[in-house]
Amino acid sequence: MSFPTVVFYVLSAILIFAGLRVITAKNPVHAALYLVLAFFTSAGHWLLLESEFLAISLVLVYVGAVMVLFLFVVMMLDINFEKLREGFWKNAPLAGTVGLIMVGEMVLILMSPEASLGSYKGAAPLAADASNIRELGRLIYTTYLWPFELAAVVLLVGMVAAIALTMRKRKDTKFVNPGDQVVVRRDDRVRLVKMAAVKRSEPVAEAESADQQA
Amino acid sequence: MLQNYFPILLFVIVGLLVGVGPILLGWLVAPNRPDPEKLSPYECGFEAFEDARMKFDVRYYLVAILFILFDLEITFLFPWAVVLKELGAFGFGVMVEFIAVLTLGFVYMWKKGALEWE
Repeated sequence: MSFPTVVFYVLSAILIFAGLRVITAKNPVHAALYLVLAFFTSAGHWLLLESEFLAISLVLVYVGAVMVLFLFVVMMLDINFEKLREGFWKNAPLAGTVGLIMVGEMVLILMSPEASLGSYKGAAPLAADASNIRELGRLIYTTYLWPFELAAVVLLVGMVAAIALTMRKRKDTKFVNPGDQVVVRRDDRVRLVKMAAVKRSEPVAEAESADQQA
Repeated sequence: MLQNYFPILLFVIVGLLVGVGPILLGWLVAPNRPDPEKLSPYECGFEAFEDARMKFDVRYYLVAILFILFDLEITFLFPWAVVLKELGAFGFGVMVEFIAVLTLGFVYMWKKGALEWE
């Protein structure tokens, strides 16, 4: 067994363990952290397949950004997980049936002669100086130009949707707008009132001095 | 090709050992004699009233998802930057259009006040 094969099996074992823990961990935050581990080991698999750009973007985008989002979502939800788990055995037959159907479909696809996974030899190893990212760049911006520009539109839709769904102006915050603060002039805040001089009446003065003594 | 990544594998393994080793060592070697008093929660001398975990404001979600979107945008810039000389003006125009669409969204969220932290 060659060394890359050993690494592959080690990574696969970690990946399967992490994947199982994602669905069995009691604490949802732990489940999210196991998902991070699963992403890391998948990045290792991408590296073994010599597609280093995908490996790095998996770590950067999924571990760096998507998992942060998942953790926020987990922390934002106020779900009683004990209550959610009550219906486990009631729903288990349905969930098991759906799962079995999915496994069956996967097996049928992978075992079919058209897939011919048994006779697949794998890609030829690349030269030491071959650049994966260069090949990707040549393809994305010429052959797959249309999907690439569509990706921009999808990102735009995502941005607008996120703003539309979660933008809330809070009424109770005391927010300071520095721009308004800077442009304010004396006349906006201070009003000088002209009034005739009034002689202070005696009882008030007495009361004030009594206040000071107290 | 794969040989180029052997140093990274070594790095990961050493990193794991340095991180996990001391914890494992402490767990194995250190004395462990818990009693109910030691394990009880300590919070300024009185029992905890409620769970310390509380709900986050939904605006963190907005910041996180906007971060993801621009993260993805940057990811597309890397392969483009590597082959820009080969692609020439056409490749430049392609990316200008890509950025223009996302800048539209950026202007929208700026005007909408999604970046304000009130």
